[in-house]
Amino acid sequence: MKINFDNIQVGDTMPSYTSLPITRTHLVRYAGASGDFNPLHHDETFAKAVGLETVISHGMFIMGIAGEAITAWIDNKHIRKFSVHFMGMTQPADLNDFENTKNRATITVTGKVVEKFTENGEKRIRCEILAEDALGGRKLSGYLIAALP
Amino acid sequence: MADKSKLGFEFPTGYFQVQKNKIAEFAAAVSQKDSINDIKNIYRDEETAKSDGYINIPIPLTFPTSFAFWTAGGIFGIIDEVGADVTKLLHSEEEYEYFAPICAGDKLTAKMRVAEMYERGKKERKGRYFEITVLVTEIFNEKNELVLRARTTFVER
Repeated sequence: MKINFDNIQVGDTMPSYTSLPITRTHLVRYAGASGDFNPLHHDETFAKAVGLETVISHGMFIMGIAGEAITAWIDNKHIRKFSVHFMGMTQPADLNDFENTKNRATITVTGKVVEKFTENGEKRIRCEILAEDALGGRKLSGYLIAALP
Repeated sequence: MADKSKLGFEFPTGYFQVQKNKIAEFAAAVSQKDSINDIKNIYRDEETAKSDGYINIPIPLTFPTSFAFWTAGGIFGIIDEVGADVTKLLHSEEEYEYFAPICAGDKLTAKMRVAEMYERGKKERKGRYFEITVLVTEIFNEKNELVLRARTTFVER
């Protein structure tokens, strides 16, 4: 269904979106695609040297997943603003202990429309966004503003 | 510790052409697909993008992260320039304002500056003291219209 300004109401929810359990391979693929080769995201020896148990996801990868959730709902061309605050680190799933580690690496993105308003001659909505892992750990929160037909 | 004399510093202007294959690669990464054949049509097929009202294949929402930093020699170029310690650095906030669609083929100019540098908390209180650096990147199209503004906040813990 195409959403438009008139058929969306404050309190409506964005369809929730759940990622695959994030693996180290996903992190490497994202590093290549984004150009962010901070070793924190792929080099275990570096992560341990700075006091972490293991590598962690790029925050921007989680934001990218949230972006997928948003554009599955509203076309890219309608988005005017996308703003997030990173809240927690994400460790990838371990392939040698997948069942016990997949939940920490599975991200669900939810959203809720909190405001309808007119700005710059456009009918806009503001929708709050939250990304959490399957254990309830918060990864990022933020909001988007979209101009709807 | 970030070098506060860098407040207001403007990085050299960057020039980029948005590439179709790079969009597909990025879309595959954020949608966790192994093959670009499995990404959404809008990110791989020009005709689909055009029928959806774009002049060419549009970029995913966070795609600007793949080129904005290169104006400053990539993430490490930035870290070196502002004098931050990579082992203590965290990305705490990111914000994009979209003023016009960015599509494959677009030739863009990026201007990045160190917009803010400040501290939060007291230095004596370990774990409660943070140094914050905010970078603002403005992206212009060939007509010199502002198409995107990115605001990136880093914290040194």
